[in-house]
Amino acid sequence: MKAALSRCLWIARITFLEAIRQRFFAFLFVLGAVLVLSSSAIRVFDFGHSELKFIADFGFGGLFLFGSMLGVVMTAQLFFAELDNRTALTLLAKPLGRGEFLVGKFLGTWAVLGVFVIALVGLLGVMLGWRAAELAALAAERRLSPPEFDAAGLGLFALLQWLRLGVVVAMVLTVAAAARTFLFAVVVGALAVLAGQLQWLSQDLLLKPAEAGLGRAALWLLTHLLPNLQQFNLGDALVLAPHQVHDGTLPWVFASGLAYIVAFLALASFLFRRREI
Amino acid sequence: MRRWLPWCGFGVLFLGVGLLAELSWRHARLCLPEIGRRQLEPTVGQGVLLGTLGGFRTVVADFTWIRGYVLWEQKTDRAGTELLMRTACALDPRSRFFWENTGLSIANDMAHWEIRRRGGYAKVPRDIQEHVFRTYARRGLDLLDEGIVSTGGSPALLASAALVAELKLKDLALSADYYRRAAETRGAPWFAARFAAANLWKLDRRREAYNWYRAHWLKTLRLEEDGSPDDLKELRDMEQELRLPWLARLPRQSWEMAQPGLPAMPSENVTTKPSAGGQSRK
Repeated sequence: MKAALSRCLWIARITFLEAIRQRFFAFLFVLGAVLVLSSSAIRVFDFGHSELKFIADFGFGGLFLFGSMLGVVMTAQLFFAELDNRTALTLLAKPLGRGEFLVGKFLGTWAVLGVFVIALVGLLGVMLGWRAAELAALAAERRLSPPEFDAAGLGLFALLQWLRLGVVVAMVLTVAAAARTFLFAVVVGALAVLAGQLQWLSQDLLLKPAEAGLGRAALWLLTHLLPNLQQFNLGDALVLAPHQVHDGTLPWVFASGLAYIVAFLALASFLFRRREI
Repeated sequence: MRRWLPWCGFGVLFLGVGLLAELSWRHARLCLPEIGRRQLEPTVGQGVLLGTLGGFRTVVADFTWIRGYVLWEQKTDRAGTELLMRTACALDPRSRFFWENTGLSIANDMAHWEIRRRGGYAKVPRDIQEHVFRTYARRGLDLLDEGIVSTGGSPALLASAALVAELKLKDLALSADYYRRAAETRGAPWFAARFAAANLWKLDRRREAYNWYRAHWLKTLRLEEDGSPDDLKELRDMEQELRLPWLARLPRQSWEMAQPGLPAMPSENVTTKPSAGGQSRK
């Protein structure tokens, strides 16, 4: 078990170093950073929200969009690079299981996404903290209550986003393990992310009382097979209105995210074991 | 059979994880603003989808509003304007700004656009015009009602609804009800209580107007920093018109004594201003 873990971490380390040097990662990171930094400048387009909410939403949007792109494309690219360059054959000829190889790939990619999330959330935190301090001073002058900003909530949101990206990476690895081409893996992976983000629509439909039937059974099955990625978007509540987060919400979301990662990795390992390289 | 066994196993595993995710979503959705699926569906192809996916909701709502506002300025595409404005509301249902401006725009402007589209004021018969005005006012009011629920009873939205009910629907009872609800909300506009009482008064429900206004003044307005002297003056005028006996009137406030022109009252009725009321007008 210890040896298997050590082999996974070895693959993860190589994957991390390979991914962090990619221009694609640097490009998306710079785009995300520019988006977060420019939020303060384009807040003139804001109507009727608090300034902090506008800045926070810009950051959350950047994290979601570029994080998802990175999660889908980079995962598929790193996986297929090993197959196309035949390095996977060399690696798997050694005492390294296919499951260990996949878990290593997952951990390496997830770690890179962790760097991405920490860096962007750090920038967003600086922007929000700076503006919150200015607004608090203004509010004190006018004897108004200062705007709410919870830095610890932002940390929790970063963890949630990292978890969401973990689910995305595990999902794309599952697709890649069965796919023949990089393009197919990217397209199907992106569609799976889109479906996961919109899964709450069917979940909400199921929560409403209705007559049982074949359609409802199909909806139930589909809803329970697709991951719900919308449940990780608790940024607004965590950062700007912590009192709106009900007790027990976060443990459930964390448990659900981790369960999806484990389930997708198990399926990916199963599919990869049956695949001819 | 053995061939399918692993797939069945994975099916069961994913269904188990799905059940866990369902429980998790039941908790998480309470922290997320409600997304109006029906309002969003017609605009899904126009970039609005991005707002529903993750972040950017506020940003997409703002840009949707700008697009709706451009159409509003052109005053020709009623359906497009309403659709985009409603979409902005659905994307960010906690924003008072979108609800208020969309509601007022539907109630006040769109009836005029509709009449112009049908050939103008000279061509459309008076009773049809009246029907169009009332229809759009009702729609605007319905939207404001939705906004009131979504924003947790914003007093500004309640006041806007009262204004539409009074000026467009000519329904003073409904308007008084909205103003009364606005007055009883935290952060109520200064005029809400007075207008609620005035509308009831105009409906000839004078005693009811006085009783509610008096109770509200004693419970809320008296505790304002300045003690709400203008509202008290309104109440004094009502007492005069209702010819209430001295003992049935509001007790004279200590700070009221210096006001010129007030009738003398028995000294036992004099009360001091409550400590929460702040500085005396003297």
